[in-house]
Amino acid sequence: MAEPRSQVSTSMSQKSMGFSASDGPATEMDPVEYTLRKRLPRKLPKRRNDVYINMKTDFKAQLARCQKLLDGSAGHKEICIHGLGLAINRAINIALQLQAFSQGAIQLAANTSTVELIDDLEPEDPDEAGEPLTRTRNNSAIHIKVFYPNA
Amino acid sequence: MSGAKDRMRHKKMRNQPSNVTYSQWRDSTGRSSDSPQQHMRGPLQHPSGWKRGHQDGGVRHEQALPKYITASLFARARAAEVNAMLRAVSKTTGSSHVFGALPKHMRRRAMSHNTKRLPCRLREMAQRMLEKSQQAGKKEKKEQSKTKSRRARRRHGSLLLEFNRRQRKNKWLETHIWHAKRFHMLKKWGYCLGERPTYKCYRASYRAMNSGCLLQDLSYYCCMELHGPEEQLLNALSRLTNKDAGPTFAAASCVSGQKEGRVMLYKADQYPHQPLGPVRFLWRPCSTTSPHRQLWIWVHPSLKQDLLPELQAVCQCFEAVGPAGVEVVPSENLVEASLISPVLSEFSPEPQCTRRKRKLEADNENDCPVRKIVGNGTRSLTTPVSWSSCNTEIVISDLTMEIVRYRLIGPLSHSVLTEILVPATDCESNTKMTSSPFWWPEECKKEESMSLHRQQTDVFQLLRGVYSMAELPPGCVLGLTVDDPRLSLSAKRGKVTPDLHRTQGGVEEQRRNLALRGVSSVCAQSALWEKSVRENVTNNKISEQDLNRMKRELLVPGSRLLTPAQSRVPILLVNQAGKQLGEERLGWGSGWDLLLPKGWGMAFWVPLVYCGVRVGGLQMSLKHSQYKRMPHFPHDYPDCPAGVRFQEQQEIELLEKFKRRPPSKRTNYIKYGCATPFRCPWQQLVEEWEKGVKQHEDNQDTKTIKIKDMTSLSGAGPNPASAFIVLRSRKVLRQLSVWCRPSSYTRKALGGSCALPLCPDVIISLQAEWKRCVLWVRLSALGKGQPALHAMLCVPTTEDLLRLREDPQWCGPNEPQHTDHLKHQLKRRGKRGEAALCCSALKEEEDCNIPETDDASSASKMEKKRVLFHINQHSDPSVVLRDPLPKPSASVTADPSHSCVESLSFTGCSNSTLVQGLWTKLLPNMSSHCSRMTLGWVVQGDFSLATGTGEALGFVSLVGLLQTLLGQSPDQRGIVLLRNPTSLQYRFARLHIEA
Repeated sequence: MAEPRSQVSTSMSQKSMGFSASDGPATEMDPVEYTLRKRLPRKLPKRRNDVYINMKTDFKAQLARCQKLLDGSAGHKEICIHGLGLAINRAINIALQLQAFSQGAIQLAANTSTVELIDDLEPEDPDEAGEPLTRTRNNSAIHIKVFYPNA
Repeated sequence: MSGAKDRMRHKKMRNQPSNVTYSQWRDSTGRSSDSPQQHMRGPLQHPSGWKRGHQDGGVRHEQALPKYITASLFARARAAEVNAMLRAVSKTTGSSHVFGALPKHMRRRAMSHNTKRLPCRLREMAQRMLEKSQQAGKKEKKEQSKTKSRRARRRHGSLLLEFNRRQRKNKWLETHIWHAKRFHMLKKWGYCLGERPTYKCYRASYRAMNSGCLLQDLSYYCCMELHGPEEQLLNALSRLTNKDAGPTFAAASCVSGQKEGRVMLYKADQYPHQPLGPVRFLWRPCSTTSPHRQLWIWVHPSLKQDLLPELQAVCQCFEAVGPAGVEVVPSENLVEASLISPVLSEFSPEPQCTRRKRKLEADNENDCPVRKIVGNGTRSLTTPVSWSSCNTEIVISDLTMEIVRYRLIGPLSHSVLTEILVPATDCESNTKMTSSPFWWPEECKKEESMSLHRQQTDVFQLLRGVYSMAELPPGCVLGLTVDDPRLSLSAKRGKVTPDLHRTQGGVEEQRRNLALRGVSSVCAQSALWEKSVRENVTNNKISEQDLNRMKRELLVPGSRLLTPAQSRVPILLVNQAGKQLGEERLGWGSGWDLLLPKGWGMAFWVPLVYCGVRVGGLQMSLKHSQYKRMPHFPHDYPDCPAGVRFQEQQEIELLEKFKRRPPSKRTNYIKYGCATPFRCPWQQLVEEWEKGVKQHEDNQDTKTIKIKDMTSLSGAGPNPASAFIVLRSRKVLRQLSVWCRPSSYTRKALGGSCALPLCPDVIISLQAEWKRCVLWVRLSALGKGQPALHAMLCVPTTEDLLRLREDPQWCGPNEPQHTDHLKHQLKRRGKRGEAALCCSALKEEEDCNIPETDDASSASKMEKKRVLFHINQHSDPSVVLRDPLPKPSASVTADPSHSCVESLSFTGCSNSTLVQGLWTKLLPNMSSHCSRMTLGWVVQGDFSLATGTGEALGFVSLVGLLQTLLGQSPDQRGIVLLRNPTSLQYRFARLHIEA
């Protein structure tokens, strides 16, 4: 997996060079350009009380959703908040906010894990390159259990 | 005499005896050769028949009076006239009701029903007439029912005949009857296709694509098979493609057969001009037995007629090989064979005419009744389907309707497939010894094919544990042999849910491998590629009837049937990658394509539907590509011949729809400043932008504006070299996509990488390289607004952008209402009684061409002045000067000769067809017609359920876009205005180029 990675690092800079790359000196260094396509992370079955935090949805909306799950008619005793990569920060933030709102009624239990992600590298000139390359990289994830402790 | 009067007279005289003329008269007398009729009829009649009032020539007639008349001749002539008169009197004309004889004041209501309302003397006759008419009605009805009782009509044989008659013009897919019961059907491209279900399911279908599974029948796509040595094939096909536009046929992963590829085809060696259309292709994995390779090219039916000659040309395949499956059939059977089509498999347990069946039974059933399934939508029975070449070893064959293709879209498509497909079970050992007419027992004897089957089965079992598509490499192909899904069809239907609990630890490693490496090319092999196997499987399908009988004999109802020897089907599963370009919602809309041999369509369709998938039609395929932000063929390929045909068709349909409204309720598109609401004149737009820029450059260089051939601007037809093209070069698109982003975004996304800066020099070189280009863009509305079809994409002025910066909630500028200069013309015509042209007589209007009289031409001179005035008002430079790019627009519009020429030519042809509220054939300057410069038009626009705002897909002129980007400040780059054809409100939208 080391070889593709080195190619990527050069290609990323080249990719944005665009159509005039042919006259730039960079082409001599590495004739094969790649496009990086990230695949989505693996999906796992989701229960009703699982909340996956992302960076696209509004923070407030996600917080409200968690709050609703905890004290709405659904009345879940516990919910799980998952965050991956950049969203870890936000997941923690949401969990802490929930705890603050509940005036100490809620407890948290956090777990961390590592998620394996897959990237596809598509050669720009597919006829010349051999196999399409894939590489794996790891990303951190957090799973926070937010629950009412049994009295 | 005018036409109406003529017609009136004709109607009046219809039943009158024709003029009585005697040639003998002239012959016998011989004297009055100039006007024999005058003599005959006497002084009171005029030579030219009817004329009212005083006539000048009356005196002359007096002079022409004969001096004597022969009594016998005169009497004979009178006798003839009297005869004719009597005949006319005795003959009943028109509706010969008895009460027609009554004077008006004696007529009563409902006289024809109730004879008692008539006076006594007429009653008898009326009664007779009444009876007669009643009998006539009865007789007709009786005859109709005698020919066809429902029972007779629904008898299998006649039903088949009826079905075959009905699909003579537009062929049916195998699932036609299923669809016809549930869908609005459309006749398109030689097929009957379901457009959308009759029940409401637009949103539900979107949800199915998003989180469930949507099923479509894509069997109408045509498959072309190319067979030959790999180098020859690649050499020939490389002329049709170009690497610049993306991977070609030679892409490494595709050649191995591991993946299905998509490629854009052009006419041989013409890139980037003369595109044909996009195709999907699939190579058969290399087999050890044959050095030749097989390639399937899947083509849209509207593209086939363009592509096939081109393929033949590049492969030099001109010798038609006899259509193998068809010509073998002797001529007598041919008719019957053609009657039987795969469509009927839902209905017919044994698709054969009853008559023929009986005949066969009488003939001792020696020859097994062979089912021939022939005929399809795009070719007749006798046309060749296969072509070979004398120079090369390439053979092209047309496999249209030979392979059924279903598409499953959505994350659950996985689970649905694993639910209904059961990998084929081995044959019993005792059958292995004997030879079998079916393909699978023979296959079981070969060790390598069995090991392959085991490998494929293993991979398929792995797929069970895969929840989302993202775990698989996009486009991968898996060949498989499965049992007949009808055998295990359970009675209850319901939604499938992914089952992840079956996955164990050891499998985890394998699955990781699968995700990384994909399905190996060995596993992509399938017996579906073999023609003999396909035919064997199709011909030996167990009929529905037999299957039901077997089910009845089963001891435990509902349990799985024992697998008969013939019910193994080779299939191919092709992964369809979802959205791959852009940043948002990657992988959306991915799914599987299921390829089956012909005749097995319904056998797989019903189990699929029982799994709780939703079925979509043409509308949903359009929406699918819209949500993937991909151009959909042939809608969004205006530069391809098929796309051009589609646009013409669409224009006609939209115009028809427009004309169906009453004139007072129609939208006046001229007032909205929309010159072409029903089509997009890309060619003109591109040329105008180019011209504008050229003038701008000339302005800078030589300070002179001399454009001579202004008249040729809109009139000249595009020759192929100068015709506009859609930009498909990935490099350029990628570059443009970076430029379109606002500066803040660019920095974030690319981490400050060194993008080529947007500067005039680069742009000029780019413009020189890519002349007359439009490019595919996506627009998302910033605020409100739902873009519609053919909405205009305009350049915001600097004031607009400034105001937007101050007030981000501002909804956008307004277009000042245009004046309808054609209205006066129409009105005047209507007043002068020039009939037919005015908007009220619409139906005649289409085909009538009023010849211009002297009056009209003098009137049109008056019009010209007025029109000139209006046009100048429209394209007033003072309006346009608010633009951020005043130079090109001003230079175009400020040229008075230009608008003069335009308007003159415009009035010249305005006589042909005028519809109120629409421009005539000759259009005004497209780009500067409104107060904001037009960049392009929207081709697909709708409220996007995915983002919750209006979203549109369309094309813009490359030159126009570059100029716009250059004029905008970095933080507001890519903001454009959108305006619907039926609105004066501009709305802001962000432009994205996804590459």
